[in-house]
Amino acid sequence: MRGILKRGARSPEEDVVDVDPGAMGSLLEESQDIHHDAMRSTATALDELVETGHEARAHGEIDPDASRDVAARRSALFTGAVFGGGLLAAAGVVGALETLFASPAFAASATDVQILQTAASIEVLAVGTYKTALTLPFIGGASANAVVKAFATTTMQQHQQHLDAFNAAITGLGGKTQSSADPVLQKVVAAAVPGLTSPGPVVALALELEQGAAETYVADTAALSDATAKKLTASIMGVEAQHVSVLLAVQALLNANAPQLITLSTTNVANLPAAAGSVGFPDAFYPTSQARPASEGAVS
Amino acid sequence: MRRRNRNPEVMAISEHELTVMTMDLEQIHNDVGMPAMHSAIEEWTDRIKTSRRGFLIGAGAVAGGAILAACSSGSSSSTTTTGAGTTKSAKLTGDLAVAALATSLENLAVAAYGDVLTAAGAGKLGTVPPAVATFVTTVKSQHTQHAAAWNSAIVAAGHSAVTTPDAALVPTVKSDFAKVTDVSGAAMLALTLEDIAAATYQSAISAVKATSSVKVAASIQPVEMQHAAILHFVLGQYPVPLAFSTTTNARPLTDYTN
Repeated sequence: MRGILKRGARSPEEDVVDVDPGAMGSLLEESQDIHHDAMRSTATALDELVETGHEARAHGEIDPDASRDVAARRSALFTGAVFGGGLLAAAGVVGALETLFASPAFAASATDVQILQTAASIEVLAVGTYKTALTLPFIGGASANAVVKAFATTTMQQHQQHLDAFNAAITGLGGKTQSSADPVLQKVVAAAVPGLTSPGPVVALALELEQGAAETYVADTAALSDATAKKLTASIMGVEAQHVSVLLAVQALLNANAPQLITLSTTNVANLPAAAGSVGFPDAFYPTSQARPASEGAVS
Repeated sequence: MRRRNRNPEVMAISEHELTVMTMDLEQIHNDVGMPAMHSAIEEWTDRIKTSRRGFLIGAGAVAGGAILAACSSGSSSSTTTTGAGTTKSAKLTGDLAVAALATSLENLAVAAYGDVLTAAGAGKLGTVPPAVATFVTTVKSQHTQHAAAWNSAIVAAGHSAVTTPDAALVPTVKSDFAKVTDVSGAAMLALTLEDIAAATYQSAISAVKATSSVKVAASIQPVEMQHAAILHFVLGQYPVPLAFSTTTNARPLTDYTN
């Protein structure tokens, strides 16, 4: 896959990269083919989840209020306590976990629904944010870097697929689908929108959302009770982390005033500075300090 | 690969700023990521030490097959923990078998990236871009940390640390690496290993029993995915090709035989 993007003759002031539209189309098409294969296994997992949900509902309706406290406790367990600083140390982590998992099955299921609804609310916001970004001329317009534009477009689509998958999982567990954005993060986005006057702030905002999503799903993977919901979330967390990697690399090149290096080609790597080789994966272990609380985006 | 002509002034600024940024990120990693991982590992090892049933630890042979199947049948041993100071020679089962497999994959990655560095130093890969050298060095370090994390739990359970690479993959990796003559070839091989590691961790999340084990696997899988994204970029490929990662390339527990 060589020479997908090619650099044309340009003045030093110009940052626009000449694109071979046919090659880029082939690249994305190939990516889509691979994606569709992956979707098949995800669909199978969701089918399992639906079956599980049917069984769960046979034992009674889910009570969102009853599970909210459980969700909050679990969220603390899997983010603040375990990963953040051992708040449960005095009480005994093992004992607390055993007590938690001794909760009735319906409460666990309802808590899973809230976790999934929060995940869906993050995806709603991500889709909306990329959609807005793509209306900006320097992200989705003629003056945009081709790779950045392709990334924003493809990533928006991937988040829409994540949203659909989370909502299907929620339905499978007998809950209400989420179509609203995470209320806390939405305020962050709203505050940032007026400042989106160049690629840098857009990338910074996207990075914040993607990092929050990835960390939330890492925490959720340990917090979820339902096996299939866990599988689904685990299949998404790494993808968000990859979005983070791309955005970190793009951000670094923008900050270094080298946007012309944001290209996809086998020869581009030779031009990258040494530090670009590690900027995309700063943590050997993915943190969860920015994970959103499990019930933050739950449907009331 | 040879360097293209570039503007030295612009790149000098890039090097400096990116280096500063990388140092900042490394500091964040040390402040946030590592303490979090230590907490999860400590929780796990505490659980191992206090488990009277020894449900994480067993002496039976691993039946084989996929991770999930092996784990579901291998965690009911009656063997009890004798304390962290005693080294056991028995085979590992349950979560510890998964940990051993993960460690062996990490060891394989560390060895492979080490071979790449050696080959690069000997000039066998042609001109190695600075970013690739940094990538290999940093990723090798992270895989070393992953192996150490898993081994800390294995050793805490009274077993010997896993120091060998995945035996089932070694012949293939050696054979493939012998054919590598440039950076792209090395990147392709590395991408295969990262895909396998990520898929195995994703599979492990569903296979392990202890929540703390899930946390450890879940904190590493996204990092392997990030390595893969950068390798795609190095190869000129779209860096996030899938909306959902898969377990297709996950390795079975039978790869690790104690």
